[in-house]
Amino acid sequence: MNKETFLKQFDSIPTQYPIQGEARAAIHNGLHFPTTRDEKWKYTKVNSIIESNFNQNETTISNVDSYKMDASWSYQVFVNGAYQSNLSDSLPDGVQMTSISKAEGVMRENMLTKLGQLFDHKSEAFPSLNTAYFTDGAFLSVSKNTNVEQPIAILNISEGSAQASNARNLIHVETGAEVKFVHHFEGSNNTGSFTNSVSEIFVNENAQADYYLIQNEGQDTSSITNTNIAQKRDSRFTIVTITKSGQLVRNNINMAIKEPGCESNMMGIYFTDGTQHLDNQTYADHQDHGCNSNELYKGVMADRSTGVFNGKIMVHQAAQQTNAFQSNQNILLSDKATINTKPELEIYADDVKCSHGCTIGQLDEEAMFYLQSRGLGKEAAHRLLVQAFAQDVIDTIEIDSLKENVSQFIESKFE
Amino acid sequence: MSDFLSIKNLRASIDGNQILKGINLEVKPGEVHAIMGPNGSGKSTLSSVLAGRDDYEVEADSVTFRGQDLLELAPEDRSREGLFLAFQYPVEIPGVSNINFLKAAINAKRKHQGLDDISAKDFMVMLKEKQAMVELKSNLANRSVNEGFSGGEKKRNEIFQMAMLEPKLGILDETDSGLDIDALKIVSNGVNKLRGADRSFIVITHYQRLLEYIIPDFVHVLFEGRIVKSGGKELALELEEKGYDWIKEEVST
Repeated sequence: MNKETFLKQFDSIPTQYPIQGEARAAIHNGLHFPTTRDEKWKYTKVNSIIESNFNQNETTISNVDSYKMDASWSYQVFVNGAYQSNLSDSLPDGVQMTSISKAEGVMRENMLTKLGQLFDHKSEAFPSLNTAYFTDGAFLSVSKNTNVEQPIAILNISEGSAQASNARNLIHVETGAEVKFVHHFEGSNNTGSFTNSVSEIFVNENAQADYYLIQNEGQDTSSITNTNIAQKRDSRFTIVTITKSGQLVRNNINMAIKEPGCESNMMGIYFTDGTQHLDNQTYADHQDHGCNSNELYKGVMADRSTGVFNGKIMVHQAAQQTNAFQSNQNILLSDKATINTKPELEIYADDVKCSHGCTIGQLDEEAMFYLQSRGLGKEAAHRLLVQAFAQDVIDTIEIDSLKENVSQFIESKFE
Repeated sequence: MSDFLSIKNLRASIDGNQILKGINLEVKPGEVHAIMGPNGSGKSTLSSVLAGRDDYEVEADSVTFRGQDLLELAPEDRSREGLFLAFQYPVEIPGVSNINFLKAAINAKRKHQGLDDISAKDFMVMLKEKQAMVELKSNLANRSVNEGFSGGEKKRNEIFQMAMLEPKLGILDETDSGLDIDALKIVSNGVNKLRGADRSFIVITHYQRLLEYIIPDFVHVLFEGRIVKSGGKELALELEEKGYDWIKEEVST
């Protein structure tokens, strides 16, 4: 199937905003979908996506309770990319939301000043595909100096087999606000589905935001997430990516650390098995002085699953007194599992502390034998050791019920 | 022939090197057997092979423990049947809490015996009691397994685990090595409290000093992979006086 044939299945979607027309023009002319000859896609083939026919059904689900990790969060529900207001909860004070396709008045004006600002939709195929063809999405804004206690959950459900959805989010955390988001991808009866997600997150001065990306669309699905963040001075942003399932998963995170005094954290935890392929690409762009970035990704890979980690840290000349740390640690449970892990540091300032490290290993045999010699079976010993390995990433999760959910997930995965 | 532990002609090699060349040993319930020997005699190999480390090629005429073929059992099953090895160099396992791990171990054994999981209350009572037995500070019990423990604390933690798991056979692999006299006394005290008519010990040691505190019923001398001499507790004193060279001479004549 060539590019045109692939794109044709989306072309009947009406455009809603000028930016979509621009992106369509770009993706039809000039942009190509990445191949393994593109450096950043060296280990990740997207043929299974771009050679497929997808459905684009607007559908509803009657009840989403089984997907909720914690009913006390404020859930904003999207099915195949479209907002389901009847399934969504009310929002706490200080948080405004509009569905991107139904935005009106001030919210709409606000949205249009920001939509597409953090992505150059003319330069990369998948974000461009999303911009060209999204049908709906969430624009969330958190008012100045508001401390939002209740986590805001964006639940993206992919429903129906071979379903393609372009999920779009725009988040604006205003000056001094504090908020936690859980962006949760789930699936139902969705064999062969593809979700292409773009999230633009603006973090204003002195704001603090936690963002948890939970990927659980199911066995036989593909998912590409593109998350770009821009931070203004003295803000803190933490993104934790938790990958529970997905046959082909590719996550791109770009953090534009534009002003001084920022703290930026990127954490990840992943468990792969079978023939799953997971590719995490991150970019911490230190543009100004006195900022700290911290990155810790940990994975446990079994069977013949394959993984990629590529973390780039850029420190511009103006970014003196930057502290940037990066670590990727992997445990391979079988000798057919593979991880390709590569850090990149590009440093133009001279008064900085930067470090990177990666480890690839097996579960400690001595520790395994010690546990077995106390009566624990192999599975139980595995479970304890995997839990121990994942613990410091789990400890960065500030929402207790989510923390518990991840620990439980590990318990059941290593039964 | 003992129904409890009977080892007949046990041989073990690693990477082509024959380390155990035919061990014979009978242990009855309630007995404490000391095994002494110079470095390289095969002491650690013996304990590793009995606990089920798979690094070795093992052969024997028979090794039975409480009526079962021990060599056929996986390490966790040997433990559940009542065998406990106190390691010479206990490994640190960061991130695995002492308490969680013990609870899992106790429950694995109980499941094997057809019992339900231990109740939280019973577990706490047992924990306090056994901690006191080896004078293990309670904050240590809350930490990760052996993480940041001193040498003495690690050895006490081994005896603490043994007390919690209530095995039928405790194998102490050079538990005394690296301990000062105070730590030695505490560890020995703990072991002595666990002695009883239905519990046996194999105390493997290089030094006689431990055997003044854990008084053995039988002493065996391991030399170049064989038990070359056996006797009562006086043998340990004789060995202390005359040194391992005496054994070497005796064996070569």
